[in-house]
Amino acid sequence: MIKLYDYELSANCYKQRLILSLLDVPYESVPVDFFPGLEHKSDEFKKINPLGHIPVIDDDGYVLWDAHAILVYLAAKYDPSGQWYPTGDPQLLGEAASWLLFAEGTTNTASAARLYVNLGYDFDIDVCRAGAHRLFRVLDEHLWFREREGLDWVCSGSHPTIADIAIFPDVVLSEEGGVSRLDYPALRRWTDRVKALPGFTIMPGVFPVGTS
Amino acid sequence: MSDPRSLWHPVATSIDLPQHHIFHGQLLGREVAVWRADDDFVNVWENRCLHRGVRLSIGTNDGNELTCRYHGWRYANRSAGCTYIPAHPADAPARTICNRTFPAVERYGLVWSGEDPVGEPPLVPMLDDGTPFTLRSLPVNASAEIVLAQLRDHRFQPVGALDGDHAAMAVTELGDFALALTATGANYHSTAVFFVQPVDSDRSVIRAVLTDTPADSEQIAVLRHHATRLGQLVALAETAATDQPAPEPMVATIDQVSLALSVMPERETNRSAPLRVQVARKWETAHDIMAFELVSTGNPLPTFQPGAHIDVHLPNGLVRQYSITNGPGDTACYRIGVKLEAESTGGSQALHDTVNEGDVLAISEPRNNFPLRRDALRTVFIAGGIGVTPMLAMTQALQPMGLAFELHYFAQAEEHLAFDEIRSTLGDYVTVHLGLSPGETSAELTRVLQGYDHANQAYICGPGPMLEAARTIAAEAGWPDQAVHFEYFKNTTEIDDSSSFEIALARSAVTLQVPSGTTILEVLRDHGVAMPSSCEQGACGTCVVPVIEGDIDHQDVHLKQTERDAGDQIMTCVSRATSDRLVLDI
Repeated sequence: MIKLYDYELSANCYKQRLILSLLDVPYESVPVDFFPGLEHKSDEFKKINPLGHIPVIDDDGYVLWDAHAILVYLAAKYDPSGQWYPTGDPQLLGEAASWLLFAEGTTNTASAARLYVNLGYDFDIDVCRAGAHRLFRVLDEHLWFREREGLDWVCSGSHPTIADIAIFPDVVLSEEGGVSRLDYPALRRWTDRVKALPGFTIMPGVFPVGTS
Repeated sequence: MSDPRSLWHPVATSIDLPQHHIFHGQLLGREVAVWRADDDFVNVWENRCLHRGVRLSIGTNDGNELTCRYHGWRYANRSAGCTYIPAHPADAPARTICNRTFPAVERYGLVWSGEDPVGEPPLVPMLDDGTPFTLRSLPVNASAEIVLAQLRDHRFQPVGALDGDHAAMAVTELGDFALALTATGANYHSTAVFFVQPVDSDRSVIRAVLTDTPADSEQIAVLRHHATRLGQLVALAETAATDQPAPEPMVATIDQVSLALSVMPERETNRSAPLRVQVARKWETAHDIMAFELVSTGNPLPTFQPGAHIDVHLPNGLVRQYSITNGPGDTACYRIGVKLEAESTGGSQALHDTVNEGDVLAISEPRNNFPLRRDALRTVFIAGGIGVTPMLAMTQALQPMGLAFELHYFAQAEEHLAFDEIRSTLGDYVTVHLGLSPGETSAELTRVLQGYDHANQAYICGPGPMLEAARTIAAEAGWPDQAVHFEYFKNTTEIDDSSSFEIALARSAVTLQVPSGTTILEVLRDHGVAMPSSCEQGACGTCVVPVIEGDIDHQDVHLKQTERDAGDQIMTCVSRATSDRLVLDI
């Protein structure tokens, strides 16, 4: 079974739990004492990932780190429909790669602001928040035009991709970092759509869309 | 310049409100939660649950009610009144628990609201005369004043000639927060109306509407053109804003919880009928059953909960109780069903024969002595005849929540089945039992009530004999008393008012005599004690009073056996004392 080196409050680990749940792939969560134990910086953990960060997966001996790389691997391997990581469609694949890089941006701004607030990381909070707003503004306009074209997801296909999953946690947890989504109504509607996907799973701070 | 709080402002666009979404907005420093209900009503509410202040915009919109994320308090469409508190599942929330609402009107593809707006939202003739086309709204980190100044120099190209930058621009001022720009080229011209929503002292949203809808094939290009041009304007406005000192933020006044909410609510003082309603529609929903749709003649109707009833004061002086059949969130009217009783003493007869569409009736505020739990794993509803009316409200509350229920509807014949339009939405959840004898009814009730399990609840309303049969059958089938809830049409018990005794009002330090032939309720009222009441025959439960000491002669049909046995409450309209003295907690 896939082992996920995991921390419950990590947005990047949540990305993996989310795709595994959406793909209905069983896995074993191996808790890492990220805070306050800093276990991911321990010599022991660096034997698994010399970069000393999580998430990391171990799929029957195949070890991979970096949140967005793991999404690529899991979708490519465990989604037989080929829709989550659209390798059969060069244009969609290009878009997905582009938005995965965008997600690096949201991770380094919106999620960094969250680490600053929640775990006391030493970041320039104003730079983080301003950067998050800059990216959210672009994404909100992008998604607004997608809606006008009858499309629901960041890439131009009719099915969500790992790009949605890579961006979603950084967006949906942003208010914890003091980044309001008040100005981004299309972004808020998109988070509702992600939450309505079959197999969606929550984490602390991420509420389900209720049917009740 | 007018006080911005007296004006209508856009707070959202209509497309911001897809089904079951809650839009998060802000106007003049105040956050609002904006949501569209299934009846297309747009709600603009203060974005804080009055319980613990959590943002309602992170809650859930099920199309009828908004549920707060924190403790699950549910609020009705339109009225914003609380309909259910999960921590008190067996109780009816006080009617006064209500979130703050703001007016809302949809016009030109925008949702208009305001703090305390005067009159109607602005009419813009050039939009009324055209075919308005809503552009993408843009948030700006700059005051409305700065944005409006930038808009006066704003440039765009007319539809048909989007390339280039040569259109001649003309400005039309449209009041404090709006202006129109007309772009004229060689062969084309376009007019856009720009409304600037003052979000806070340093933030705004530009909401723009073209006077004419472009051809389908051009729409995306037009939207992109305006998004690009407005994006440039946003950058200019934000640069201008950073060159100025930051203004003081607007502070929205958050209403304090009203005194009525922060103290124990006043008891209703009598059998009052403070509401005036007009009969908007009267129709025969089944043989001998008239349905009435009652709309307010003044303020919006108060919130009701499933199971609630109203007192209807009739032209002939009689007062009768009728259950509200509406589902949750269906708060624009009350719909009741009135069965013409063969032995009518004038109540149902008057409603059938003399009350017509357009007539005004006096009614009480809704009162709920038959509250519905919304946490049961299985709920069994048993209705006999017109007893279906509270069940209709209850089933409509459970259905959207996905809670398991079944409605067993007993009636004489097909033509006696009322409210087809509601029942048809309940599909397979309804089982109809027609023309059964008392024996067959008991057999059917035995079948229906078999298999009691944890967290099952039963609600039963119908004729007295059926309720008595159901009470016995439920007990035999293992249903605990607390899980079976009855609502009687009337109390058919022969009231024995021959006893005489003394009542001591513990809180008032008053002792009174209740002679034979007089009720406790009458004695209390005669001595100036304000007492609520409704049916005054021991069926509805409104005139209940807590008892501290003494033996009670229960003659009502409202209390359950366990409640009777506890001996700590009395229905003052019919019940009496077997001891010489009763000490009442009033």
